[in-house]
Amino acid sequence: MKAIAKIINRIKTNLHKGMIVPAVLLFITFTLLPIIFSIGLSLTDWNGYSSPDFVGLKNFIKFFSDDRAKNAVKNSVFFALLSVPLLNIIGLSYALLLDRKFKGVNFVKAIVYIPAVISPLIMGYIWMFVLQDNHGAIFAVFEMFGKGDNYINFLGDPKMAMYIIIIVNAFQFVGLTMTIYAAGLQGIPQDLYESSAVDGATKFQQFTKITFPMLGPSIVINVITNIIGSLAIFDLVVSLTGGGPGYATETISLYIFRQSYGGQSGYAASVSLIMFVLVLIPVLVSLRIMKKSRLHLED
Amino acid sequence: MKKTFLVILTLVVTFALSACGGNSDKVTITFLNGKAEAVDWVDAAIIEFEAEYPDIEVIHEFNADASNALKVKISGNDIPDITTVYDTALMKDGYYYDLSDLEAWDRIDPSIKALCTDPLTDIQYRIATNRTMAGLFYNKAIFTEVGATEPETWDEFVAALEDVTDAGYDGLYMGGKDTWMIGHLIEFWAHGLIKQELGTVDANIAFMMNQTTKLNFDADNGPMEIFAERFMELKTLGLLNDDFLTATYDNQIDAFANGEAAVISQGMWALGGILEKAPNLASSIGFMPYPAMDPTKDAVILSAEDSGYAIMEASESKEAAITFLNFLFEADRQKEYSELIKSPSAFTDVDADWSPIREAVTSALSKGTHIGFTATPSGFGGGEAGILVQNLYLGEYTVADFVKEYTDSWNEAWNASN
Repeated sequence: MKAIAKIINRIKTNLHKGMIVPAVLLFITFTLLPIIFSIGLSLTDWNGYSSPDFVGLKNFIKFFSDDRAKNAVKNSVFFALLSVPLLNIIGLSYALLLDRKFKGVNFVKAIVYIPAVISPLIMGYIWMFVLQDNHGAIFAVFEMFGKGDNYINFLGDPKMAMYIIIIVNAFQFVGLTMTIYAAGLQGIPQDLYESSAVDGATKFQQFTKITFPMLGPSIVINVITNIIGSLAIFDLVVSLTGGGPGYATETISLYIFRQSYGGQSGYAASVSLIMFVLVLIPVLVSLRIMKKSRLHLED
Repeated sequence: MKKTFLVILTLVVTFALSACGGNSDKVTITFLNGKAEAVDWVDAAIIEFEAEYPDIEVIHEFNADASNALKVKISGNDIPDITTVYDTALMKDGYYYDLSDLEAWDRIDPSIKALCTDPLTDIQYRIATNRTMAGLFYNKAIFTEVGATEPETWDEFVAALEDVTDAGYDGLYMGGKDTWMIGHLIEFWAHGLIKQELGTVDANIAFMMNQTTKLNFDADNGPMEIFAERFMELKTLGLLNDDFLTATYDNQIDAFANGEAAVISQGMWALGGILEKAPNLASSIGFMPYPAMDPTKDAVILSAEDSGYAIMEASESKEAAITFLNFLFEADRQKEYSELIKSPSAFTDVDADWSPIREAVTSALSKGTHIGFTATPSGFGGGEAGILVQNLYLGEYTVADFVKEYTDSWNEAWNASN
C-alpha cells in the first residue's frame, strides 16, 4: 500500500514533465525531422520525384559559383538590413505615440494592426493594383490630372522595386511590432518615471535611461522575429513583383522555391541549409549584442 | 432491454458488413487535372459517368500548378491514375502508361497523333483531344485605320507596328510580369527557326536529347542571337508596350479587348477572355503567323496538341481509367468541350462550332509553317526563359549575354533532369 502511494506520489510530482510531450513531438515532427531530412537531401541530386544519388558536397560547392543564388542572398540581406530597423523604428514610434489615453486610441491601434491580419500574398496583389504603371490606382489619379507621363514605374524599375517591397512589408507588419512594444511599455512601472521626474530628468533622458532599457525583452523579440521574417520573405515578393523585373527582387526563399520545383530539389535543400545559417548568424549576433547591452530577456 | 439491444447490435453489424461487401467491387480512380477551364466540364462528366458506371468512382483533383503537384504526389507515393500533366522527364523515367492501343486513336487526326508520339520510342504516352494554335492576334479595324495590311515578313511586321504606334496605339502588347508569356516568344519565334529547320520530329528529338550541335543556341547568327536582336529592335523602336515589364496577362487581354493594343502574341486559349470583355470585337479580330525573324525562313504558327490525358504506370486501375477516358472522348461530350475551350477537336467525328474567328485561324494556318511546343527541360520552362527576356529588355544583358545565359540555363536544367 505504501509502495502504491509512493508511485502515485511520484507520478503526481513528475506529471508536469509529461505535459511537454505533445510539444516535443510536434517539434520533432515538424522541425527536427525536416532539418535532418534536408541535410540528407542536400547531399543528393534529387530532382523531386525519382531516386536520389549521393553527390557529397557538390551542391554546396555549386552555390558559391552560382551568381543567381548570390544575387538572391544579396537581395535578401539588403531587404533585411532596411526592413528590420524600419519596422522597429516605426513600430516603437507608434507604440510611444499611442501609449497614452485619448479618444479613439484603440481604434487607431486597430487601424495600424489590421494589415497584419491580411495574407501577404493578398497584400502584394493589392499594392500591385495600386502601384502598377498604366493600370494602377495611383496612375489613374495622375492621369486624371493629365500627369500620367510623369508617373514613375515603381515596380518596373529594378532599382526601385525592392524599396517598394520594403515599404509594403513595413506597412503590413508594423502593427505587429507596435503591439509587442505597446505590451512592453505597459510593463514599465510608472513610479520609475515619477521618481526620475522628481530628480529632474527630461523626457528624452527618461526615454534613453528608463523606457529603452526596460523595453529590452520587446526589442529582442521584435528584432529576432523581424530578422527571421525578413530573410525568409517570399509571398509578398511573389505577388508584388514575382521576383522581377529580371532577378532584381528575387529573394533566397523564392530562389529555393524555383530550384526545388525546377527539378533541383537536392540543390534547393543545400541552399535552404545555407539560408538557415544565414538567418542564424544575425539572430545570434543580435542576442549577443543585446545581452551585452543588458537588453536580454532576463531583464 | 438486453434483448432489444442485441437485436439492434446485430442489425447494425449486419448492415455494416453488407455495406463493406457492397463496396468491395467499387473501383476508385483519381484524376489530377491542371486545366482550370475544364473543371466544371469534368465535374459534370463525372456525375454522368458515375451514374452510368456505378462501380467506378472518380475523384477529381484540380490543381492550378498540377505539374509540380504531380511531382510532389510521385515523391509521396500518392500517384493519381489519370492526369493532364505530361512531362518528358517523367516519360523518360517510365512514369506513364503506354496508351498506344487505345481505340480512340482511330478517331484522332493523324497529325495530332504524331504530336502525341514519343519520337524516340514511337509510343503514345498521352492522348490529346484538341488542337491549339498560337500566333499574333491583331485588330483589323486599327490596321485598316492606319492603312496597314497583314504583314508577312519581319520588315513588314515592323512597318505595320510603326504605323499603329504612330497613330497612338500600343504595337505588340505583352504582359511581361507573367514571364511565361514572354517565354513563349522564345518558344515560338526563336525555337520556331529550329523547328522549321529540323522539322517537327527531329526538332523534338533535338530538344529532348539536347543535341547541342543541332539546336545551335549559342551559334553566331543562331536562333537565340537573331531573336535577341529582333526583340531589341522592337524595344528600341518603341513598338512594345511601355509597361512591358509590369503588365499582366489580364492587362494584355484588356488592352486588346479595349482597342488600345493593335497586336498581341497569344494562343487560342485567350480568345474566350477577349470576347467575354468585348463580344463585338469578333469580326475585327485577325490572326496571323509569327513573321520569320530570319529572312531566309518562313513564318511559323503554333499548331499543337492540346488537352492531353495520360494514365500513370503506377495506376492499379488502368482499365477503369481507360473506361473513364473513353467516356470523356464520346463525340457529343467532345463537341461541348471544343466549344467551351474554343479549340478545334482532334477527333475527326466531332464537328464543333469552336470559334467565331474560325476563318481567320484557318487562313493563318494556311500561311505559316506549323510548329509544336518545345520539350523544355524540367525547370526551364517558359517562366524561367521569360525572366531572361526581362533582363534583356532591362539592358541587364547584352545580346551576347542573353545568348550565353539562355544556353547555360538550358544546359544546366537539362543536365539536372537527365
